[in-house]
Amino acid sequence: MNLAGIRALVAKDFTLFFRNRFFALITPLALIVYIGLYFVMPRSVDETMDIGVYAPGWSAVVDDIQQQGLRIHVAESVDELKDGVTDHDYVAGIVLPADLAEKLASGEKPRIDLYVASDVTEEAKEAVASLMREMIYALSGQPLAVEFSTEVLPGPDTVGEQIPPRDRMRPLFAVFLIVFETFGMATLITEEIEHRTIQALLVTPVSVKDLFAAKGFTGITLAFGQGALFMAFVGGLNDQPAIIILALLLAALLVTGIGFFIASLAKDMMSVLAWGLLALVILVIPAMGIMFPGVITGWAMVIPSYYVVDTVDRVANYGSDWPDIWQNLLILVAFSVAFLLVGMVALRRRFQ
Amino acid sequence: MSVRRVATLLRRELLQGPKSFILLWSVVLPVVMSLVLSLVFGTLFNDKPKLGIADEDSSGLVTLVQDSPSVITREYGSVSDLEQAVKTGAVDFGIVLPEDFDSLVTEGQPVEITAYVWGESLAKHRVIAQVTLLDLVRKLSGREAPVDITVNTLGDEASIPWSDRLLPLMVLMAVFIGGMFLPATSLVTEKQKRTLEALTVTPTTLREVFLAKGILGFVISLAMGLIILALNQAFGGQPDLLVLMLALGAVMAAELGLILGAFAKDMSSLFAVWKSGGILLFGPAIIYLFPEIPQWIGQIFPTYYLVEPVVRISQQGGGWSDIATHLFVLVGLDVLLVAAVVLAGKKMRRVMA
Repeated sequence: MNLAGIRALVAKDFTLFFRNRFFALITPLALIVYIGLYFVMPRSVDETMDIGVYAPGWSAVVDDIQQQGLRIHVAESVDELKDGVTDHDYVAGIVLPADLAEKLASGEKPRIDLYVASDVTEEAKEAVASLMREMIYALSGQPLAVEFSTEVLPGPDTVGEQIPPRDRMRPLFAVFLIVFETFGMATLITEEIEHRTIQALLVTPVSVKDLFAAKGFTGITLAFGQGALFMAFVGGLNDQPAIIILALLLAALLVTGIGFFIASLAKDMMSVLAWGLLALVILVIPAMGIMFPGVITGWAMVIPSYYVVDTVDRVANYGSDWPDIWQNLLILVAFSVAFLLVGMVALRRRFQ
Repeated sequence: MSVRRVATLLRRELLQGPKSFILLWSVVLPVVMSLVLSLVFGTLFNDKPKLGIADEDSSGLVTLVQDSPSVITREYGSVSDLEQAVKTGAVDFGIVLPEDFDSLVTEGQPVEITAYVWGESLAKHRVIAQVTLLDLVRKLSGREAPVDITVNTLGDEASIPWSDRLLPLMVLMAVFIGGMFLPATSLVTEKQKRTLEALTVTPTTLREVFLAKGILGFVISLAMGLIILALNQAFGGQPDLLVLMLALGAVMAAELGLILGAFAKDMSSLFAVWKSGGILLFGPAIIYLFPEIPQWIGQIFPTYYLVEPVVRISQQGGGWSDIATHLFVLVGLDVLLVAAVVLAGKKMRRVMA
């Protein structure tokens, strides 16, 4: 290996990259935009349904309704209740009449007024109405003989400690920043091929191996650097930073291998775009599974980026440790090395 | 300026276009994205609890639950399938209905329902799922509710379903992907292959080249905008106004494409700008997706003045008086961008010289 040659090639690539005003400006700008988007998103999950109640002389009923998942607001008058509804302080406002018990006891059907804002969805109205009916059944001494035997799967129960959507999206953003460098890597090589500078380079003491090493180093640095910086800014490195950094580094290695492979297929920049887009779409799929649980099943595990997003998600959002994710990292190493080798072989064949 | 030369250049763009990946991308991507987004956001961002049922008999409760607006119901063939669905979060709450469930309920016999809860499901979703189930079991048992509930609606704001919230994003994608990328990539390719210099040593001027490429971007942009509106059945009551707004948006897209193409040295630069600059274009649509974000923020973005009138016309039955201000702002932005295109052209000519 010609270390001086590799150093010179890396320096050349970085100089060209940052001499290009677009890249110099846009690369940090992209990072800032993604970080900004993260901080704009809600930092918590509201998992309760707010309901307003006006129940003169019925404080016991109000206590009955209180349960996990519901937040009850007691209004002092019907007008206050209506104001709460129109101000969206609660989804619905319920008026329990003072003579409710008498009417129930006498077998009469009491009327309950339910106030909802016009923009409340049909399902919310129906859910509150069902809740009220159940409560009145209980009050009138007609409990249902149906019991739920409940088991939480897969555990632990995260009620009250939900992961905010912005934290769920961290792996997606990080993977997106890294995967986008597939284009960068493939472009770097395709430009050399298009401009025929690659032939010029290969008649110097720089060997094909040196060229791979230099391009690989540049690609990994750019991809890993952006992903790691993003995670550092959004607090993704607070728990087990070593695991996250290793996962991102392996992801950078993976996209570099894919970049090599695309460069071996692409005739020009348009081909890079076409193949790169295909790679981008496939590699982003596993991140969708984190954002929308249950959407993708076991088949996503054949996509190498699954092991990046799963590792980042489990470590950053669920506090997983080495014993929980070592298999992921091992598979990721295998995928990264395999793609790098395949990419290098394909590219070498193209040069020769 | 020669109209004949512009027409010749435009014909060349149209003939070479179908061979270009970008043209295919501009046409296919908005349509595919429209379908995918409708599927993903329309079903998955719905704030309804997802209830899974494994019915060991053929209970009438399943039909009742499927008809209920409070939950999204999925039926599973076996308990293990249901368990798996709960474990992966495909459903929030899963129940196993035992054999003879209906007759036991009708006779008032005690019944135990095995229920699985996804550990990450929201507390309110669990409550809604359980209460809805109990309510429907009572209905199944044929008992009359001991109370009349009267629903009174307050205010005049309407809830915005996800399909409506997505429309601005789809329209922006349709208008800007083709409208911007076709002129931009075409200019960059010509610069890279040095065919632009060859063209400009003929009587053809750079202005004519820009115009031909801009017209192509405009046509594709407008066509895709109309196709997306047609696919979403969102022409509203004033289709002529809607077409006018889309046309002004298409002009903006083509102008931005020409500016981008004039300044970008190569495809990498072009896509680097798209990677981060895309958020500036789609900002208003993203803000519209989440009503909890202050909506005035959207007005900072230039594309807001295209999105807002489209929403007002297609979804709120708006007319001229509702969109006039936006239209004038959009016309103003288009005029400003014409000036920017002229400056970009001059800079490009200097570089080429």
